[in-house]
Amino acid sequence: MIGTMNPELKPFEELAASFAEKELAKNIEEHDRYPFGELFTDVIEKAFSVGLLGVTLPEDLGGIGQGISTLCLILERISQVDSSPSGIIFTNTLSQELMIASGSRDLLRETLSGANTAYDFLIAACSFSNPAEIQHMPVAQKRGSAYHLTGNLDYVVLGGIASHALVPAYRADRSRYSFFLVDLSDTGIEKSGAVFSLGLHACPAVDMVFDGAKARLVGEEGKGPTYFADVSKKMHIAAAAMSTGIMKGSFKEALSYSKDRFQGGCAIINWSEVSMILANMAVKLNVGELCVAQACQALEQSTHDWQHHCTAAALHVHELACDAVTDGVQVLGGNGYMKDYGQEKRFRDARQVQALLGIAPLKKISLIRDISGFEELCG
Amino acid sequence: MLTRGEVSALIQRFPKVEDTLLSLQYAPKMPKGMVQETKAAIALARKFNNEVARPLALKLDRKTHEDPDYLPWELVETANRWGFYTRWIPRMLGGWGLNMPSMSYFTEELASVCLGITNVIGVHYLGIAGITACGNLKVAKRVLSEVVEGEKTGTPCIVSLSITEPSAGTDVEETDLMDKGTVTCHAERVKGGYVFNGRKIFISMGHVSTWTVVFGYTDLKRPSETAVAAVVKTGSPGFSFGSHENKMGQRVCPASELIFEDCFVPDNLILMDAEKARKYTGKPIREVTQRYTDYVVSATRAGVGAMGAGAARGAFEHAMQYASETFISGKPLIHYEWVQCLLAEMYKNAMLARLTYIEANYANSLRGMYKILQLKPFYYYYKHVPQAYNDKVLSPLTEKDWMTSLMIRTNLDWQFQSDQNCTSGWASLAKFSGTDLGMKNCQLALELMGQTGLRQERWVEKMLRDIKLCQIYEGTNQLNRVNLFKCLIGPAHPQVRVFDEQG
Repeated sequence: MIGTMNPELKPFEELAASFAEKELAKNIEEHDRYPFGELFTDVIEKAFSVGLLGVTLPEDLGGIGQGISTLCLILERISQVDSSPSGIIFTNTLSQELMIASGSRDLLRETLSGANTAYDFLIAACSFSNPAEIQHMPVAQKRGSAYHLTGNLDYVVLGGIASHALVPAYRADRSRYSFFLVDLSDTGIEKSGAVFSLGLHACPAVDMVFDGAKARLVGEEGKGPTYFADVSKKMHIAAAAMSTGIMKGSFKEALSYSKDRFQGGCAIINWSEVSMILANMAVKLNVGELCVAQACQALEQSTHDWQHHCTAAALHVHELACDAVTDGVQVLGGNGYMKDYGQEKRFRDARQVQALLGIAPLKKISLIRDISGFEELCG
Repeated sequence: MLTRGEVSALIQRFPKVEDTLLSLQYAPKMPKGMVQETKAAIALARKFNNEVARPLALKLDRKTHEDPDYLPWELVETANRWGFYTRWIPRMLGGWGLNMPSMSYFTEELASVCLGITNVIGVHYLGIAGITACGNLKVAKRVLSEVVEGEKTGTPCIVSLSITEPSAGTDVEETDLMDKGTVTCHAERVKGGYVFNGRKIFISMGHVSTWTVVFGYTDLKRPSETAVAAVVKTGSPGFSFGSHENKMGQRVCPASELIFEDCFVPDNLILMDAEKARKYTGKPIREVTQRYTDYVVSATRAGVGAMGAGAARGAFEHAMQYASETFISGKPLIHYEWVQCLLAEMYKNAMLARLTYIEANYANSLRGMYKILQLKPFYYYYKHVPQAYNDKVLSPLTEKDWMTSLMIRTNLDWQFQSDQNCTSGWASLAKFSGTDLGMKNCQLALELMGQTGLRQERWVEKMLRDIKLCQIYEGTNQLNRVNLFKCLIGPAHPQVRVFDEQG
């Protein structure tokens, strides 16, 4: 849908399709074995080399300087095949966008300058949280002009494979959090192994313990919630694009299977209940694609209330996707539950993606708070 | 005032009271001893959860990811030590003889912690149902004696059920579909028995079982009229195991491929075939096959519903814990009204799931497979008769031809079609309701818990992976909806055809 509405983005669609086909399609199950198998570092390097780790990053900072539509197009196309690389692209983009929104372009330039590998280019982040919801966050102490972090932070996505991380931390008064950039080779940082999670296995997260680790302030002190609010409104729709891609992959596989699988003497697509399930999936998919495409357009044209449209669209699309992929497994029956097919992975990944940027019900509360302007609403 | 005749006529209208208010009808007939027995079964499950399931479940799930070929031999030995493989075998056949509905409550308790471990125990009774449903007590005695002996010796002997084939899943659950489908497991009549050739897939606990109940067909074009059910022992010539499926969840319970290559099964291990059916009943074989299937699934689908109820409860309990320990804007999450409403919804889902399997079991107790065992005189007789008398006098009766004949006639001839519809329809209702509600609660818990819920060590993501399978096995939830229509709604509309939209 985004590609149809923006023909000029066709080269990026082809880039994503080619990447998905050549680097991902043949080894989906093997890639998904992580952390019980090898991480697909060659795929991550390839993503870096073709520019997928800096889609919205300005060209002067080493990116390809595209807008949200391109990012969504790429995430959706890749997620049709395997959403783990999309999770990596999403998280890295979130880090870059937060740094730019905070006015820390120079710090970002410094961090990325001379990056020759994906490792150098990746900045880890807690992309599955709204930092305001994090129960335990490090505390930043200022000594001279430098900051030092102490405390725990869970589920830092890419923390095990990136050179840097963008870390939310409180000052001692614990009023409003700030973002800090840390060098993950700092000896004051201890990392767990990859957290065994529901989905996106090849987009791993680690828990971190900070013990006086050096950190550089990103933007201004106490402005973390402001930066996150600005960036997340945009990134919500990128997460929704991942959901749309997963949904599309699930629908395609279900449709194809239903034509080939025979029960009761005919292809199961001829059984009207199966047709109805497929029809419901098609409705969800088409609505999802439309929501993402329109939200991208609203955002890029800065139409009135685009923020609300993007958040609402994303919340809706995630729910559609979670329902659709459940049906996607069901159409394949027992086969859909096995790792030989892609449906069970999509079932897990869709739920994982729904949790990007924080707890779903709290996103809804936040939306109505924004719409109503009534700050006292709970949550 | 209504006359007795008017009352009778009105309650016969659709929906018939006798088909819907099972609890109301069964409550006065239920032996009181079942209540205490059921409480004890629940307590036992809770003790097992504390001592075995909770400490092991996540570790075993992780272990199966590290080593996809892992098989749960140690867990099976533990369950065997706890007496779980004989607890619901009738005393006449050497087991503990607990009332059958108590197994559903027990199942719900286990499932609230781990559906995989639940199935490692529960699917054994699917196999046993496959044996007992046809009423062939001689074969039942032979196999179940080994199960009982296995408990005494500490060498587990468990039973699996092998129906699903690579090209026939839904097809083999319904005789209406069977003949249109593509079954491939062939049973050839030879002197002294049958020779089986074919493959079975997705057989829960196949690799770990000692006996499997297998279905073959003498005429692959007319399977509903030529089905042969047999028990085959692991290690028998011509019987081997193929691959071990790599599943999304319930990973501790292996799903196996079973291969039969010129596997000879002697007559004394044949549970049911057309010859036996003709010997004991005048009913068409196709009807016998469907009745046999319905007997099995009427019991076991209620059990899968209980697994759904357990998942719904487990997800609720984890969401509750999370809401209690998490603070948002300085307040415990659980203090917010929207959270309380969400938790109330989840609690409701768990309770509704439970009510459906309870009602399905009332149907089985009133009009199905549990009926005889739970008649008050029989129930108390079997419960209190001394074990020695049972072993010396009652148990040997199971070897007698007339006893097998009596049981088969009881199962095949003396159950009305309306009874079969009632038990099968309610079992389907319990199965798809319970598992859908279990799925719903897992989804709601994950949404509430966000990133925390995604971590395997927080249980809910595993529950979500596990519960999905319950919507698929024992007939997909779609098949069960159609079966409900066929059994509980269709009879009131005889002009409606079911499983025949291609016809």
